[in-house]
Amino acid sequence: MNSTTAPTAPPRARRARFQEGGLVVVIVLLGLLLASFGGSVNMPAFTKNAAGERERLFTTNTAGERVPVLLEKNKFFNAQNLTQLAKDTSFVAIMAVGATLVIISGGIDLSVGSVYALASVLGALVFHKFGAEGPLAQAPGWERASAGMLACVGAATACGLLNGGMIVALRVHPFIITLGTMAIYRGIAFVITGGQSVGEFPPEFRKLVRWQVGDDLSLAPLAVILLAAVAGGIYLSRLAAGRRIYAVGGNELASRFSGIRVARVKLSVYIYSGLAAGVAALVALGYYGSASSGDGSGYELDVIAAAVVGGASLSGGKGTALGALLGALIIKMIDNGIVILRIDQSYSRIIIGIAVILAVVLDQLNTWLAKRRLAGRAGNP
Amino acid sequence: MKLHVLPLALSLGLALVVAPTTKAQTKKSYTIGLVAKSQGNPVFQAARVGANDAAKALGEKYGLKITIDWRTPNEEDAQKQAEAIEQLVLSGADGIAVSCSDANKLTDAINSAVKNGVPVATFDSDAPASHRFVTFGVDDEKCGEQVMEELAKVMDGKGVVAILAGNQNAPNLQKRVQGVKNAARKYSGITIRDTYYHKETPQDAAAKVEQVMQANPEITGWAMIGGWPLFTDSALKWAPGTVKCVSVDALPPELAYLRSGHVQLLLAQQVYEWGYRSVEHLINKIYLKQEPAAVHDVSPLVPVTKENVDAFAKNWEKWLPK
Repeated sequence: MNSTTAPTAPPRARRARFQEGGLVVVIVLLGLLLASFGGSVNMPAFTKNAAGERERLFTTNTAGERVPVLLEKNKFFNAQNLTQLAKDTSFVAIMAVGATLVIISGGIDLSVGSVYALASVLGALVFHKFGAEGPLAQAPGWERASAGMLACVGAATACGLLNGGMIVALRVHPFIITLGTMAIYRGIAFVITGGQSVGEFPPEFRKLVRWQVGDDLSLAPLAVILLAAVAGGIYLSRLAAGRRIYAVGGNELASRFSGIRVARVKLSVYIYSGLAAGVAALVALGYYGSASSGDGSGYELDVIAAAVVGGASLSGGKGTALGALLGALIIKMIDNGIVILRIDQSYSRIIIGIAVILAVVLDQLNTWLAKRRLAGRAGNP
Repeated sequence: MKLHVLPLALSLGLALVVAPTTKAQTKKSYTIGLVAKSQGNPVFQAARVGANDAAKALGEKYGLKITIDWRTPNEEDAQKQAEAIEQLVLSGADGIAVSCSDANKLTDAINSAVKNGVPVATFDSDAPASHRFVTFGVDDEKCGEQVMEELAKVMDGKGVVAILAGNQNAPNLQKRVQGVKNAARKYSGITIRDTYYHKETPQDAAAKVEQVMQANPEITGWAMIGGWPLFTDSALKWAPGTVKCVSVDALPPELAYLRSGHVQLLLAQQVYEWGYRSVEHLINKIYLKQEPAAVHDVSPLVPVTKENVDAFAKNWEKWLPK
């Protein structure tokens, strides 16, 4: 290599950036489509009263009636809708980052939805003890908020550890283990709640997650997604531990012969998957204020779809944290678009299913084109 | 190339954003969001038909265009319902009717909708702590009590009863179960074997009944607080009359069990009226500026027996989607 030539990124990194670039283009095009064809909406105007609280703005019309002041805004491209979209995406996106690590390693985790449910209800039960009606309502504010947070995230991480431990120790395919734990974790969630919904959390915790700026915009879920994507991205691309996940997923035997501790890598990805589900559950607890054993039903499919649309390959060795976030965003934008364009909800599953298949087919086409380019270069040095 | 296209595309996109302008209040068209519990349950399809019929009838009556925006999750998921309510508010719905899968989870979303000037009515399953202005449906605890009392009548006040209860998380079903148990205490000859939950699909419900009967052949009565298994053929494998059954809801596939004698009584919820009355309440509030007479608009259960089943069946020609 010429000393004046800057080193180029390896082929996988270049292909991944192209993949994410493609996802960004899709998101921009979807956004333009929705902004152009979604029309406009009249939204109430708010003002701050003397006490600093938000209240609706009213005026008097020509007939002397008191009517609300309305602002016409683009239905898709307005701050409230975009913040809403970020919030709706956050739960699946956070879990998809964790699921992507598992998929890169060549595994699968079908239990994420159930881990989400179990973590939610355990966190909710602890929060409830510190809530207004709970026995520990008088505890200091930081204790009231942190106890439930630890319970929720801790429980989810423990579920991930159990999944990974069984997969590694019993040498059973992850599909089977996580299929079993999918039922076990949800069953435990039902037994400990008796099927009841649990609410009444400490206000400090709710305020933290529902912290609003400007025109009632909740930015905490968006902040958490970005943190998860950045943390996942740094881990996978900059740390040796993250690179080992690609190695194991790409070729497990070669990784083993290279001295990589494959069992440890596999254990770690399931722990991270559990941790991600716990963080997503925590955000949901704070935003929605309650949990029940039915939460997160079917989310494993949404999470895996987001990871795959984001570029993760189910055969392992491929995927990025940013791709997972973008994949989740694309799926949610399609969902949002169905509402904005007033498409009958009955068709939503069909549309999203087609979008997922198209994403995977395009990815495979992209892979084939990249291989042809490489072959072309090899043939013409 | 891509790098040049992106800024251009973003600029075009921003150019399409409409600058905020104020708007006059007079409207001739209204959108009502309808968020039921799940698409797969036929009772909510009947509610949808009711809502569409109300939209047409009231539209003609007042010279309005009323559109029903159906935003029901594919399966029961309170979080998705909350997201649907938030999306409906942001997309300009004038009113929302919702049947709550989880009252706790939906209370904030309902309150936020109301704060943004969008009135919310609930039907079937309420969120009592929320700022909804009206709720239409049965009194769930009394419904459960009525199921048990009717069952006790046909069982002559003695026997072993199983309760079929659907989704364990649904607050309305939990109240019905409580009602069944409260009423059962009045009959010393009646024992409740257990409450059996299941996924709310006809196949899962029918499988649950079969499993339970295999394991507990001493059961002589079923209190079904929802008629899920009766949407399949031969869900009830006993000889007609040997085991007594009273169920809530009376949709067309369920009526066959009355005719065959496997079920002694169906207590029909007014599922078509869930949609119709909800839209009526919302239009009264939004357009006519009228408040309902009471927050709880209670709908009585309609008893359907072998004697009046044919007359009742004719209603479904109107109530179900064509």
